[in-house]
Amino acid sequence: MGTFIQLVIDGLSTGSIYAALALAIVLVNQATGLINFAQGGMAVLSAYIAWALNGLGIPLLLAILAAVVISFFLGAVIERYLIRRFERGDPDTAVVVTIGLLTLITGFCAWIWTYNNRLFPSLFPLETIQIAGAVISVRSLGTFIVIVACMLLLQALFLGTKLGLALRAVAINPASAAFSGVNVGRNLMIGWGLAAVLGAVAGVLVAPQLTLTPGMMDSALVYALAACILGGLSSPIGVVVAAWLIGVLENLAAVYVPFIGHDLKIAVPFILIFVVLFLRPQGLFGRKAVVRV
Amino acid sequence: MSTNRRRMRVASVVAGIGIVAVLAAGCARGGGSPNDTDDGGAAEASPGITDDSITLGITTPLSGPTAGPGTCTVAGVTAYFGARNAEGGVEFGDGNTRTVEIEALDDEYDPQKAKANYDQLKSSVFAMTAGLGTPTNRAWLDAAIADEVPQVLIMTGDPIFSNQEESPWQLGFVPIYQNEGEAFGELLAGSAEDHKVAILSQNDDYGEGYVEGFKTAIEGADNIEVVKELTYEATDTSVDAQLTELAGSGADVFFNAMSITPLVISSLQKSQELGWLPSWFLPSNTSSPSAILEPGGAAAFPGVYTVAFAQSAAAPTFAESEEGAAFLEQLAEYANYPDVPAFPHCVWSYQIGATLEEVFGNMTEPTRENFMEALRDVSGFTAPLMLEGSTVDTTQDGLPAVSTVQVQKYNGKGYAPAESWDE
Repeated sequence: MGTFIQLVIDGLSTGSIYAALALAIVLVNQATGLINFAQGGMAVLSAYIAWALNGLGIPLLLAILAAVVISFFLGAVIERYLIRRFERGDPDTAVVVTIGLLTLITGFCAWIWTYNNRLFPSLFPLETIQIAGAVISVRSLGTFIVIVACMLLLQALFLGTKLGLALRAVAINPASAAFSGVNVGRNLMIGWGLAAVLGAVAGVLVAPQLTLTPGMMDSALVYALAACILGGLSSPIGVVVAAWLIGVLENLAAVYVPFIGHDLKIAVPFILIFVVLFLRPQGLFGRKAVVRV
Repeated sequence: MSTNRRRMRVASVVAGIGIVAVLAAGCARGGGSPNDTDDGGAAEASPGITDDSITLGITTPLSGPTAGPGTCTVAGVTAYFGARNAEGGVEFGDGNTRTVEIEALDDEYDPQKAKANYDQLKSSVFAMTAGLGTPTNRAWLDAAIADEVPQVLIMTGDPIFSNQEESPWQLGFVPIYQNEGEAFGELLAGSAEDHKVAILSQNDDYGEGYVEGFKTAIEGADNIEVVKELTYEATDTSVDAQLTELAGSGADVFFNAMSITPLVISSLQKSQELGWLPSWFLPSNTSSPSAILEPGGAAAFPGVYTVAFAQSAAAPTFAESEEGAAFLEQLAEYANYPDVPAFPHCVWSYQIGATLEEVFGNMTEPTRENFMEALRDVSGFTAPLMLEGSTVDTTQDGLPAVSTVQVQKYNGKGYAPAESWDE
């Protein structure tokens, strides 16, 4: 029983990392209708900024907050001066642009900070708590709580605020939104800025565990995208739950399903996606797009 | 309508990427059995060499997840020959003094790109050297044999490159994985106590080689029992589940045959979180004191052992030694690498530079054939920064240039030699 609980808790902890990135992807998707494949790269850049500021002697928490603010502006600037040129065109072109952006940011980080692994101090101590025969690290718990808070804030933003409504309106139908007096451009910038902020949060949560390298988020991004599709791109709660599900099921399948084992567990999220997309094309928590004729 | 279609399209793109990721993980284990052993005829002067210069090619990962060690493979050898060139060049056995130029291309640890890089370089360089990676080096093994281009002193522990029948134009530099695993096994088998061993290994030639060597060495030792054995994929972001399972085995020795730096750090941390405190065996390329053991909190374990043949640049005493200081200075000056390298590959490739200089000194003709002859005739050569007892010996078929390794134990700062388990 101890092992089972441990595996579930470990899964929730890794799942939280995927969830942070997935939330940022959902935010951009909700605000612009795009999938931002550069999200992982942007998260790494934010983490490097926090690391560099911390290296200059700024206390860790302040350095992270500064990196979060800088990331907001970076995200907004990227939207305004790069992505906007492609937003209303062919979505395939935009996908290629964001993948290009990912390569560019990764290269930029490597150019400035090299590919050496950098040690990133953790916000949480390396201590553990015992619960029901399982060991929970304070860091996993901290990551978990921060992600839950982000998820709830995001859900509240979309469902309970004017800004969230405007963001959704712009994503669904920019022309109508503009006619209703919504400043489309500003909202798109805010959407990207907020996503960059979430990426920054993901980056600084992951960096202490994976050590900071330009490609740190590459594998996490694949899982985050899986979580987005599984949970439904329109639901922040959905993607977080999906990310947790992926983390937990992956762990359990590796240990308890003999033919999967630790070697095949990377296939688990993708098998899940195929099954879910077959049964529910909009994802577990996504809304079906309704078209009036 | 358009939103729905866009979602479907996005979903298919994401699913497509997922499939590629899965396939990439599954196809990482490459094969290849070269059978072409044509030894070729001599030419007047081979490509890539003139009376006053020689050009060497390198294909290695300079971007992507393996770029840390990959950039090191270029930096060390560039630093070594940068310093030699500044002194006027390297003296060859044919009486000429030549400067050594390095042409390095990025393969991102992708076998296809490595092959393309080789194709691009093969007619302009004299020999290919130093490049890091088993699948990437295997990708152009057959081509190098067919083209009679030396692929030598490369950084892979795959034994195929040291087998002269299978690889006539090749030679590995670093010990084969089996050598390292065997050294651990011998140390443990010599212990006076009983031990339970848990093993976690990378699911490819690298991990299999280590485990094979280890098991060979403990065969017949009745004080050793392997109680649990698991694997992981090099693409995994976390091995927490494996550690949880292994911790439950009650093993007092943990052999972690792992090549991914961040995963080793998180393994050390996770193991402490679980309250599982065995002695550790770590491979030579993932046991850096400053980059891995310190952040992982390795001092919490009764013993962390590694095998090595070269000094660790990250050890505190390194920069104080004359050789170490010269290495760091040359690395900064000629290879644009100002940091103290966290990866051993910088030191290794510096030693490759020194070994090549030794070989060049014994070449009597500016041909690839003559180079290969001279290369296979080095014995008892002590390259700079080698640990006492390790030497370069290229004369034994089946073994790479360096095959003598020493087990070392972490002492909280750097490593000290470990002659036996119980000391």
